[in-house]
Amino acid sequence: MRRRISLTIAVAVVVLACTAWLTAATWGQALSGEYKIGVLEPLTGPLAGEGKRHLEGFEVVRDLINERGGVMGKRLSFVVADVPDPTAAASEANRLITRENVKIITGTFSSRLCGAASEAAARHNVIYWETSCVDPRFNKRGLKNVYRTEIDATGFGWYNIDFIVKHLAPRFNLKPNELKIAFISEDSSYGQGVTESAVARAKEVGLQVVGPVEYYNFQTINDMTPIIVKLKQLNPDVVHHIAYTNDAPLFWRQAREQNFLFKALVHAGATGYGGSDFGKAMGNDGNGVFALLEPGPGFKLESLKPDGQKIEKDFRDAIQKRTGSYPLGAHQLAGGGLWLLKVVLDRAQSDDPEKFRSAVMGLDLPVGTMINGWGVKFSETGQNSNERVQHYMLQWQNGQLVTVWPEEFTTNRAKWIPLGPWDQRK
Amino acid sequence: MDPARPLGPAQIDVFAQLGVSTVLLGGIYALIAVGLTLIFGIMRVVNFAHGEFLMLGMYLAFWAFTLLSLDPWFVLFVSIPLFFGIGVVTYLLVMKGVIHASHNVQIFTTVGLSTALQNLALVLWSGDFHTVRPWHAATPIRLAGTAFNLSQVVAFLIAIGLTVLLVLFMRWTHTGRVMRATAQDRDAAILMGIDTDRVYRLTFAIGIAAVGAAGVLVSPLYAVYPTAGLQFVLLSYVVVVLGGLGNMMGALIGSLIVAAVEVAGSYYFGTAWKEIFYFVLFIAVLVFRPAGLFGQRGAENLGV
Amino acid sequence: MVRAVGRHRGALLVFGVAALVPVFVRDAYFLDSLVLILLWGALSAAWNVAGGYAGQVSIGHAAFFGIGAYSAALMGTRFHQSPWLGMLVGVALSLVAGAAIGYLSNRLRGPYFALSTIAFSQVLLIVASRWRAFTSGSEGIPVPFRPGFATLGLSHVAWVYMALAVAVLYWAIQVWLEHSRFGYRLAGVREDEDAAQALGIPARRLKVIAVTASAALTSVCGTLWAQYVGFVDPFYVFSVDLSVRFALNAIIGGMGTALGPFLGSILITSLETYLRATLSGVKSGFTGIYLIVYGVVLILVVRFFPDGLAGLADRLRARRARAQA
Repeated sequence: MRRRISLTIAVAVVVLACTAWLTAATWGQALSGEYKIGVLEPLTGPLAGEGKRHLEGFEVVRDLINERGGVMGKRLSFVVADVPDPTAAASEANRLITRENVKIITGTFSSRLCGAASEAAARHNVIYWETSCVDPRFNKRGLKNVYRTEIDATGFGWYNIDFIVKHLAPRFNLKPNELKIAFISEDSSYGQGVTESAVARAKEVGLQVVGPVEYYNFQTINDMTPIIVKLKQLNPDVVHHIAYTNDAPLFWRQAREQNFLFKALVHAGATGYGGSDFGKAMGNDGNGVFALLEPGPGFKLESLKPDGQKIEKDFRDAIQKRTGSYPLGAHQLAGGGLWLLKVVLDRAQSDDPEKFRSAVMGLDLPVGTMINGWGVKFSETGQNSNERVQHYMLQWQNGQLVTVWPEEFTTNRAKWIPLGPWDQRK
Repeated sequence: MDPARPLGPAQIDVFAQLGVSTVLLGGIYALIAVGLTLIFGIMRVVNFAHGEFLMLGMYLAFWAFTLLSLDPWFVLFVSIPLFFGIGVVTYLLVMKGVIHASHNVQIFTTVGLSTALQNLALVLWSGDFHTVRPWHAATPIRLAGTAFNLSQVVAFLIAIGLTVLLVLFMRWTHTGRVMRATAQDRDAAILMGIDTDRVYRLTFAIGIAAVGAAGVLVSPLYAVYPTAGLQFVLLSYVVVVLGGLGNMMGALIGSLIVAAVEVAGSYYFGTAWKEIFYFVLFIAVLVFRPAGLFGQRGAENLGV
Repeated sequence: MVRAVGRHRGALLVFGVAALVPVFVRDAYFLDSLVLILLWGALSAAWNVAGGYAGQVSIGHAAFFGIGAYSAALMGTRFHQSPWLGMLVGVALSLVAGAAIGYLSNRLRGPYFALSTIAFSQVLLIVASRWRAFTSGSEGIPVPFRPGFATLGLSHVAWVYMALAVAVLYWAIQVWLEHSRFGYRLAGVREDEDAAQALGIPARRLKVIAVTASAALTSVCGTLWAQYVGFVDPFYVFSVDLSVRFALNAIIGGMGTALGPFLGSILITSLETYLRATLSGVKSGFTGIYLIVYGVVLILVVRFFPDGLAGLADRLRARRARAQA
């Protein structure tokens, strides 16, 4: 029995669709005195938690910028779009560009999304200002108007291994080639990217990498026992673990149960051990874990340059007011990136891609001048450099992530080096 | 590190620990699968939203713990009638209308339900990851070189208890017989005067009650977040098919087998590959013995 | 000829409007959305060959989509070949994979088959995300945009016509299925496999052919998508969500009809985009609302319009016939 769609139905559907398209999203009308940029973040789906925090960071800094006169003499405002997957990222980028007439797009935070979003922006010759994704290939596609304010995965690996070699190894009384390091990681693009870079760098500096990298899918991991059992046999000194969010407390709890002893655990980034959820989950039991992040409590404002002190303090106060806590990694990456955008726009006084680019390339500010104590110097490919995007090692102490390294930036010092027995880290 | 080295004391420890983990993990999978095998077995409905009810159970435990300082073991008793009720309501609102419809309709109904519930949780409670940390979650138990957690043991024991209870219920009570009859042949059951609608309602409610209780029990062990159900749902299907639809003991044994495959696969090949093992197992079971280990041969064609 | 046109007025309208849009509209977002509607529609049409016409409902078609996407991306970035070659490679691989799934379909019925297709797509996902040396693992593959037809680097307008060509082709394939002997026999298998076999129809072989063809068609669109969006992420291209989407459009529009998948795609894609655009700018706490609406709508439509729009059309026609009688 052949079924057919009647013409009526077809017409109805097409008309309905057209209406939807025409009314979807307001046609962008910038109020006079307002400068609009596009913000893409995943606000639904598995990345929603972090995406929301990035947006918060953007909003707080936007308000700070507007208190200081906005950008190019106008008030900065956002058009926000939810981008849970790559198709949406490309699609929404298109929408913001063509319907909302934005000339600058920022956001995405995740390596899954930044590739597609920036491709879409590039095809329209719109400036793409990435604040957080770490895919190392992001800047290697030959796209001229694509910039990234945060270091990429190789930078994370760089800092972590640096910390281990310069700060931890001496305190363990171990030379680098005597130090055994094991790697565990969640298996998304973030985990893979950072971990592989760290492994490469570890081998470069001569650390003893024991065992293959233990990867797992953070969405389906139920039990870390096989990993812990394997690692116990390998007996590493340092465990390098890149976690997402639910896996960090799981590993830590089970490692404690099974009495897996090691001298230090190092992570990088605002998720997992670097997120507030770990502290809430573990309390004091989480003491001792290191996470590479933006500055946390204990950070000495005085260690920054005067401009940097002012804006960093205002930023922290604003986040405190809005969320009741010290800025989280997500806030800092987004906020820091947006502030840097303002610095560029102040210099360029234009969103014309050519003028923007020369302003970006012309910037050369030392560490300590901006939010998070960052400096700025972009490479030809639009990547802010490792040396200027100062990162810090934080440690969980008494339920809080505090800044412990580099020591000139903070009043706190790292404790529990090496980590003693599980019940003795108070 | 060659795990195939001859067994010395250290190796025995390794296998003991892995063995204990397998058993405890299997218990948790059984808890979740028992409800699913009931629903899939008797109603022949693929419930894609099963993981979301688990997630709701976890949130119940979380809010009770955070707002009222109630231990999950106490909340467990409340959750069973509560989720029974939720199951009834869901059945009446969503499932009843599609019980006689084609499989596609049923599949997509539950897919829609799954999406709606996940995002309901996201909107109401945000995407933050929460944890429930009662005293027993931080209580390690160390026994003969192995270590585990009191929460896990209790979850395991309750899983066994629940399975046994359900087996007895299905075998010895009148209602249980009625449910089994409906599963075997719906049309004959109707001819015998069985109110199949009532049977389905009861089945669904029991299934949801079981998975809601499972959520409460596992909340100390895993993080609570809107998509928490995803990590268990596909796996539960493997367990259910492996054990045979509608078969409680099958679900229990199937859980242990899946857990063993996972743990062994993770240990020897790496945890990143663990899903491949049970998916390949799944396909193998489907190809060679679709009725599962304990199902009747040919059962997979009945009523499908 | 005139009669044929008359029979397919609906399709003429839909594709005609799609063809004319780029002439009058230059808004890139509109064009972009149109490309997506046509692509998702074509993907659903491909799914429909197996699901609607052969009755093999799979929720794992993303496996073939991903194969097509990865073939294009890898051919382009690793072997520096044209994506068209990648398309051929993808089709070849999908034929093999489709035959495997087809074999499974002969052993399993209903939900069992559906579940096995999920398992298959997830196995491919894991392999793609772990085989770092070849597929760049979880980090995915950015597909560079190089202008030109050989490299499928097209403008928005050109993409509309590319997608339209594929859509019309897939629609035509389905129409052919409805009128051909192969299609009739397939319909017999779909309605009652045992009876068909009793009549001497080689049911098993036909099912395998249908699924294999469906796989190849899906793979082609996967290639196109990869070139269009520019980034292949294993967790997306092999996802169950995507598989569900392909099936959904066809079901909403009417499984087993040629135009159904496209109408379904128009409705669902528009609904989703409309909801996301309207509701996501709202306070970030409420962003999930559009997906709740989406889920509820799905439940309602599948419950009250299980035959999709085709069923609605039948009801309208029946009512009109009754009115005339």
